[in-house]
Amino acid sequence: MATGAPAARANDRIAIGVLRHLRGAAAFFVYLRTMLAFFVVWAIIAWWTSNSVLLPSPLAVFAAIGQLAADLELFFHAGISFARMVGSLMIGALLAIPLGLAMGLSRTVGEVVDPTIEVLRPISGIAWIPLALFIFGIGNALPLFIMTYAGFFPILLGTIAGVRGVDRRLIDAARTMGIPQRTIVTRVVIPAALPSLMVALRLGVAASWTAVVAAELIGAPSGLGYAVEWYRELLATPQVMAFIAMIGVLGYLCDLGVRALARLFTPWASDARSAP
Amino acid sequence: MGTINGSIKLRLAHVGKRFDAAGRAATVAVDDFTLDVAQGEFLVIVGPSGCGKTTVLNMLAGLDRPSAGSVTLDGREITRPGPARGVMFQDYALFPWQNVRGNVGFGLKHGPAGAGLASDARARRVQDCIDLVGLNGAEDKYPHQLSGGMRQRVALARLMANEPEVLLMDEPLAALDAQTRLILQDELLRIWGQDRAQSSRRTVVFITHAIDEAVFLADRVAVMTTRPGRLKALIDVPLARPRNDATRASAEFQALSQHIWSLIRDEAYRATVT
Amino acid sequence: MSDAALRVMRGLSLPIALLIAWQAAGLAAHSVRMPLPTHVVAAAADLVRSGELPLAILQSLSRVFAGFAVASVIAIPLGLLMGSSRGVERNVDPLVESFRPIAAIAILPLAILWLGTGTAAAVMIVAYAAFFPIVINTVSGAKGVNSTLLRAASTMGLPRLRIIRTVVVPAALPAIGVGLRIGMGVAWTAIVAAELAVGAKAGGGGSGGIGQMMFVFYAYSIELNRIIVCMVAVGLVALALDALLRLALRLLMPWAR
Repeated sequence: MATGAPAARANDRIAIGVLRHLRGAAAFFVYLRTMLAFFVVWAIIAWWTSNSVLLPSPLAVFAAIGQLAADLELFFHAGISFARMVGSLMIGALLAIPLGLAMGLSRTVGEVVDPTIEVLRPISGIAWIPLALFIFGIGNALPLFIMTYAGFFPILLGTIAGVRGVDRRLIDAARTMGIPQRTIVTRVVIPAALPSLMVALRLGVAASWTAVVAAELIGAPSGLGYAVEWYRELLATPQVMAFIAMIGVLGYLCDLGVRALARLFTPWASDARSAP
Repeated sequence: MGTINGSIKLRLAHVGKRFDAAGRAATVAVDDFTLDVAQGEFLVIVGPSGCGKTTVLNMLAGLDRPSAGSVTLDGREITRPGPARGVMFQDYALFPWQNVRGNVGFGLKHGPAGAGLASDARARRVQDCIDLVGLNGAEDKYPHQLSGGMRQRVALARLMANEPEVLLMDEPLAALDAQTRLILQDELLRIWGQDRAQSSRRTVVFITHAIDEAVFLADRVAVMTTRPGRLKALIDVPLARPRNDATRASAEFQALSQHIWSLIRDEAYRATVT
Repeated sequence: MSDAALRVMRGLSLPIALLIAWQAAGLAAHSVRMPLPTHVVAAAADLVRSGELPLAILQSLSRVFAGFAVASVIAIPLGLLMGSSRGVERNVDPLVESFRPIAAIAILPLAILWLGTGTAAAVMIVAYAAFFPIVINTVSGAKGVNSTLLRAASTMGLPRLRIIRTVVVPAALPAIGVGLRIGMGVAWTAIVAAELAVGAKAGGGGSGGIGQMMFVFYAYSIELNRIIVCMVAVGLVALALDALLRLALRLLMPWAR
């Protein structure tokens, strides 16, 4: 690259910034255009079927969203589901990360625990619902258990993969400097495994968010899944769609949040933004 | 400056190429580049890394269009890739899902090079090309089962199978170890037909950054400067063909190599520090 | 003792210890309801012999295959198109990204509303669930094709559509395979969830399938041993489906390492 005067470089940088904003705006415009086309097609089909239970118009759904937001019902259920997810994720991470570290660091622990994990993992969290219904009944504990279980495995596997994937030479380099084993774990292994762990956390959030809807649909007296089911029984389709949209929006925001966390904790990782 | 023997096959006239990347200052990769290549000539372009050699080759291939000037084959403007100009890529560019036979026959099967060819004639040509590069016995192997030198042979066989008039080679031997490289240089000249008359040879444009390789292979060597890439010198290589190990040991070979190195030493040094 | 034998012993030690502890605790509890490993095995033998369990699994599987086929037929061509054309991707991606965070089970109420509680709704849920992993992986596979391979094909004079068929599709196949495997996993989870939810909320009925069967065991008789048999069956089928798909992909891609 040819070396230019500092002023010219600064100008370049401003130009780059402007271009990026323009490109962001263009992408946003395309997004709006596509979604507008989607809503128009939907409105036409709704008008054609003219059955507000089967397919309400998008306007009816927007009205329902407005009304549910105004009396805070939307946020009440969203808040409950979100709190359950955060709680279950914390429990899941608290169990999975130490276990994953132990399994990744010690071959013996890995060999002892691994088959048990591999036996349990294919049994989806949702398949536990009937048994959990018997054990916990309907309430907060059931969705918490199902979500924790669903989020546990991605986090565990990501932690193990992260620890096992640490570049051997980094550890050797630390050992040649005479650094004690414990410090190597905290200062080399864990930071090196962190990007993989953050990716695992994203997968865990996605898994437990999928489980929340199923768990609440069947076994909880509150939350977004419950609300969807409640309004379906009332045949209030606009409200059903409003809550479904809220499930999507909140799921998206959660993913955005974990990605922001990943950037905060692992600013050196380049793939923190890429999709799993 | 080098002299042209025979009719002109390829012509680059005042060619320039700039890349306007969004959000970055434009890069001038090639500037006012003029060069004629004769029918049946083996022309080698040398220059330090990043001097725009590959850009020149891509324009000859029709993969890139020049921003200024013109690139012609037999007097006709080159606007897009075509089977008359075969390209051999630096990293082999073999299709991983095709075995040796499938890779060599790819252009014949799917491209215009095989049009009007019966399937048994096609199969025969594929086998001939595999034999030509000495890969018989490996026809059913996949690229990942082959060594670097063997992959390069597959790429060469694939190139020859399409029977292009012009061979464009982008550092085809760069990824090989030193011994394999020498062997493949000899092979390349044999397959090109260095003992034939110039009129019945294919025209070759070959890119490398290795000066001894350039001198060993070339009829003429074009030396390029670093960014923006310009033609610095054109040097005749009057070494007798067929060339062999004795050629490499000759004083003339050494002197030519030294001369070219002296031309690009400063450029090459600058390329390593910027 | 050989290293491999030691590893197997270590691997078996924990599951065996857990089973023994479960059995002991169950015997100590003196409860009729308490499930026991020995009772689970007996229940499994019963359910297999009576044909109930195989029938339920077949019912669920037929729905999964139908929904999975629908998802693949739509998602793979769409993904290839999005991956090879920037314009298509830019315009379609907002829709994909907007619906992706909505879990398949969340649209179950709509599916029931539109298609009833039978097979059609279940197939829709499965197709919706499997669609996103397949389309996203296909797009990334098609976009990730080594550009030199595309250039090599174009220097041989191949037309664009031919390049998609002969270069983009085989090059994207490993990524498509990953998408299919993930898609199959979520499809199986989704069918269990859908059948469970239909059993729980839509008044049961003849929808069938393994999920429904589990719920019936819970709701009408609280037969925990049988519920656990179903859970194990769900896990085994998930493993079998993945193994089957992996085998199929290996046969389809003999060049892959």
